[in-house]
Amino acid sequence: MKKIARYLLALFIIISINFFIPRLMPGDPITNLMGEDYIVSQESIDALKAELGLDKPLLVQYVTYWGDVIRLDLGHSFHFHTEVSQIIASKLFWTTALVGLSILFGTLFGAILGALSGWGKNDPKNKTLTTFFLWIYCTPPFFLSLVVLYVFAFKIGIFPLRGFYETGTFTDIAKHFFLPVLVLSLSLASRNYMIMRGSIIQEKGKLYILYARAKGLLNRGILFRHAFKNASLPLITLVALDIGFIISGALFVEIVFSMNGMGTLIFDALLARDYPVLQGIFLIITIMVVVANFLADIVYGIIDPRVREQR
Amino acid sequence: MKKPALPRQNGSAQKKSLSSLLAVVLFLVFFILALCANIIAPHDPWERFDPYLPPSVEHWLGTNDLGHDILSELIYGSRVSLLVGLGAAVLATAIGLCVGLFAGYYKGVTDEILMGITDVFLMIPRIPLIILLAAFLKPSFWIIALVIGFLWWTSTARVVRSKSLQVSEMNFVLSSKCLGFSDKHIIFTDIFPNIIQIVIPKFMLTVAAAMITEASLSFLGLGDPSMKSWGMMINFAFTKGGLINALWWWFIPPGLCIMFFVYSVVLLGYSLEEKEQAVLGIS
Repeated sequence: MKKIARYLLALFIIISINFFIPRLMPGDPITNLMGEDYIVSQESIDALKAELGLDKPLLVQYVTYWGDVIRLDLGHSFHFHTEVSQIIASKLFWTTALVGLSILFGTLFGAILGALSGWGKNDPKNKTLTTFFLWIYCTPPFFLSLVVLYVFAFKIGIFPLRGFYETGTFTDIAKHFFLPVLVLSLSLASRNYMIMRGSIIQEKGKLYILYARAKGLLNRGILFRHAFKNASLPLITLVALDIGFIISGALFVEIVFSMNGMGTLIFDALLARDYPVLQGIFLIITIMVVVANFLADIVYGIIDPRVREQR
Repeated sequence: MKKPALPRQNGSAQKKSLSSLLAVVLFLVFFILALCANIIAPHDPWERFDPYLPPSVEHWLGTNDLGHDILSELIYGSRVSLLVGLGAAVLATAIGLCVGLFAGYYKGVTDEILMGITDVFLMIPRIPLIILLAAFLKPSFWIIALVIGFLWWTSTARVVRSKSLQVSEMNFVLSSKCLGFSDKHIIFTDIFPNIIQIVIPKFMLTVAAAMITEASLSFLGLGDPSMKSWGMMINFAFTKGGLINALWWWFIPPGLCIMFFVYSVVLLGYSLEEKEQAVLGIS
C-alpha cells in the first residue's frame, strides 16, 4: 500500500511539473503553450487566452489542467493539425513494439551471457565479451544506430535504409525492425550484462552454492537453478528503473532509422517547436515509466518469497 | 574439484593496471586537446574552405557542407564534452552527497522524506524532460550542464545513504557524538572521509552519463549553437546529407571521439574502485 501511495505521489509531482514548465519558462506563455508554428493577431490571442484560461488565476488553471490530463486531453497541435493525444496514440504502438522486443532480447541475452561470464573463469573469451559490452555501454545509442545503418543498409545493402509504413507485410516490417531492435537490444544487454556478471560473482562465493556442489549437482545446474534466480533480483529493479532510459534510447534509434514512432515525432516537433506535442510525449512516457516500475514491484514479489511475505 | 573461486584472480590484477593506464592516457589526451584546442587545431573551426572536401594532407578529415575543417571542429568539440561532463557531474555529486549523507545520518523522518524525493526523481524520464526543457530554453552549454546535474544525482544519493547508514553506526562516530561534536562536524569530518572512495567512481560514471546526454541532445539539434560539440557535428552530418552521401569522415570521427572519451572516463572510474564486485556493477 505504501508503495502504491509513493507511485501515485511520483505521478502527481511529475504531472504537476509538466503543468508549470510552459508557464515558468521565459517567453510568452501563449507561444509556450501553442508552439511557435502558431502566429496570430491580437484579437485571436485574447480569444485564445480566454479559451486556454490563461487570464484566470493559476489555481483554476491548475485544476482545469488536471481535468484535461485525466480525460487524456493533451491539447491541440497546430503543426500537425490534430489533437496531440491522437498523434501520440498513432505512434505509441510502434515505439512500444520496438521497446518491448528490445527489452525481451536485451534482458535475456545480457542476463544469460553475463551469468555465464561471471560464473566461468576470467579467460580470454570472457574478457573479450566484457570489453565488447563495455564499449557498447560507452556508445550513445544514436551513434551505434548510425554506424549499423551505414554498414548494413548503406555499404552492404541487405537492409532497407529508411523507415516503413504501417501497410507493409509481416516480412517487410520484420526487415525494417531487425536493425533497430538489434541496436537497442545490444545497448540494453550491455547494461544487463555488467549487472548480472557482478551479481553472479557475488553469489558465487556464498554457502548455498557450496552446498549444492556438495550435493553433487552439475555446474550449469547450480548456475541456472540456484545462483541465477538470486542474482537476477537486482536486474529486475534495474530494468524497471531503466525503462525511461530504454524509451529514450528507442527515440534516438527511431530518428536515425527514420521509423514511424514517437522518436521521429519528437524530431519533427522540435523542428517546429511544437511544445504541446513535446509535453504530451513527456507525459505519456512518464506514465509508462511509473507503470513499469509498479509492475516490476509485483514481479519482484512473485519471484522473491521474502518480499511476498512482508506484505 | 573446482573450489568456489575467489572473485579476483591473479591475472586480472595485471590486466587491470594495464587498462587503467590506457584509460589515464586516453583521458589525458582528450584533456590536453580541450585545454590547448586553439594551439593544436590546424584551423579555426569557423574558417571556411571549399565544402565537402574528402580527407587530404591539408584537411586530414576533410571539410563539411559549410567548408569548416572537420579535424579542427573535432578538437574544439572536446571542450564542450569536458565542460558539460565535469560541470554536470560536480553538481550532481554535490547534491547526491548532501542528500545521501543527511538521510543516512539523521535516519527516521529525514531519511523517509529525502529518499521519497529521490524515488520521485528516479522515476522522472530524464531525457524526455531535458528535451522539453532544452526546447523551451534555447540553451547554452551551462544550462545543459545545470539541468543534467539537477537530474543525475539520484543513484549517488542512494549509494551514499546506504554507506553512511553503516558508517554512522561505527564506534568512532558514536564517540564523536559522546564528545558533543555538532552533527555538521560529525557528518563532514567523520563520515564524509569514509565515503569518498565510493563517491569518486560514481562521480566518473556521472561524467560519462552527462557526456552521452550532451551528445544526444546536440544530436537532436538542441546544443549550444555558439560552441560546436561532437553531437552537433553528427546532427549536421545526419540532416545535411553526410550519411546519404557516404561522407564517413564527417560523422564517424565525432562518434568515435565520444566513445573513446566516455570509455576512458568509465574505465578510470572502475580502476579507482577497490572492490571487484563493485567494479562490474554499473548502474
